Amino acid sequence: MGPVELLHMSVFSQSFSPCGRFLAAGNNYGEIAVFSLSAALSPDASQASQKPILNFTAHDGPVFSLLSTDTHLLSAGNGEISAWSWAELIKKSTKAAWTRKPSYETSLEIPEINAMIINPKDNSLIVGGGDNNIHIMDMETGIFKSVLKGHTDYIHCLCFKEREEEILSGGEDGAVRIWGHTEIPLSHFQTCSGMASQECARPQFGKWISCLATDSDWMLCGGGPSLSLWHLRSMSPTSVFPLPGCQREAVFYQDLIMSVGEGPHVSHCLHGGTVKAQIPCTPSSLNTLALNLKNTEHRVMTVGGSSHQIDVFTNFSYKAFSLSF
Amino acid sequence: MSIKFFRIVQCAFWRMGSVTDDEVIRKRLLIDGDGAGDDRRINVLMKSFTKWCHSNFSPEEGFSQYQRMLTSLAQCEFSMGKTLLVYDMNLKEMENYEAIYADIERSITSAHEKIAECKKEIQRAKRIRKNRQEYDALARVIKQHPDRHETLKQLEALDRELQQLSHIKENVEDKLELRKKQFHVLLTTIQELQQTLENDEKMESDDTQESSMENGD
Repeated sequence: MGPVELLHMSVFSQSFSPCGRFLAAGNNYGEIAVFSLSAALSPDASQASQKPILNFTAHDGPVFSLLSTDTHLLSAGNGEISAWSWAELIKKSTKAAWTRKPSYETSLEIPEINAMIINPKDNSLIVGGGDNNIHIMDMETGIFKSVLKGHTDYIHCLCFKEREEEILSGGEDGAVRIWGHTEIPLSHFQTCSGMASQECARPQFGKWISCLATDSDWMLCGGGPSLSLWHLRSMSPTSVFPLPGCQREAVFYQDLIMSVGEGPHVSHCLHGGTVKAQIPCTPSSLNTLALNLKNTEHRVMTVGGSSHQIDVFTNFSYKAFSLSF
Repeated sequence: MSIKFFRIVQCAFWRMGSVTDDEVIRKRLLIDGDGAGDDRRINVLMKSFTKWCHSNFSPEEGFSQYQRMLTSLAQCEFSMGKTLLVYDMNLKEMENYEAIYADIERSITSAHEKIAECKKEIQRAKRIRKNRQEYDALARVIKQHPDRHETLKQLEALDRELQQLSHIKENVEDKLELRKKQFHVLLTTIQELQQTLENDEKMESDDTQESSMENGD
């Protein structure tokens, strides 16, 4: 990988292994790199332990979304979803367990898949992408059960409310849709558009929603409009965060909200609407943030963006070191 | 001299059956303190005693030699007493250090426990802060809406207005009905009167026509 390619690399997605000791990251060249966290975090870590233990080309196009189940790593790029067994990846074998494509209406263009989430209750995979629809696939049989139609433009992000088993989806059309029990597609949904509320709207950036996160009753959404915290039962925005750029990913963590987006920093915000801290990091703009909460020893946060380096935070207040592709 | 003393000690240990004579010898050879002086003194004492016993001294010389031996014996006893005290002191120091060690161990474990407690406290405090912030956020939204009592009062006032207006409407409608009926009655009477008058006129004209026809006959 030459220096020019490294310069133009962007990391789009990350996922931690089920044991919490490995990190998989996908970039815009279609490669997935697996890093060993236990080697990088051990006291005698060296420059070599910050390189991936395995780097292989998974898709033709960029890897926009990575997701880990208990045994497999799912990666999605241009229209197809591949599954890799974590046990095989750790042993450095790069053979895919399976590759599937959702059924698209037109077979001419293959839309990209931007987001994937898992519904643990009925073991189904929910994907959303460029064809404005949400496809639901049963993990055991591999059959695409249903399609949720409703968005008028492509879908950026998906989120799952576990208590009520509802899917939230945000897209380029600026609408956040809530899908209920999907025995009948589109059984009931509500739309709350970020543009509708004047406090969040930022017309200079557009109305697209690129990040969604939910914490039972509360929802974070941001993108073109400012990042804002909504109370779902009353469908009203309660706080708007004064962050300058467009936020690409946000998560709830304990009593904080962490978000990344344009700008070389991770923002820590409080629910009240104040920005508590902005931690600087190496990429000039960030695309993805991942928290490793499964493993207490390697409890880290990793961020990746428009750089070939992925920053690792052991204490969430400062950057510890960087892994590089 | 010291080697002879060590051989004596070795014999003593052999009689006792101990196995660590090498250790003892090595240690004594290393500790080069008062040991050499004491050895020499004891040997000198033994030699002078045997010399004193076997030789023919004059009584004064014998006495002075005897005094010298007593002083040297007293010195040996003194040094032995000192060593015993030092040994006791070492034992007590060891006990002291053991006690301090145990103390430090206990404080380490209690510090560990306190750290765990504090971590739990932090988690609780974070949760509480999150709840307070959520509460504040919702309260801000709620405050934006008008007060419930006022809205209820407004609703009641509107209700009353509505009722009044419907009363008025009923009254007006009743009046309208009444007037309609009155006008109807009036018009029908007029029409009947017109009819009667027409009939009368017709009958009169019929009458005159009949009378003129009778006159013409």
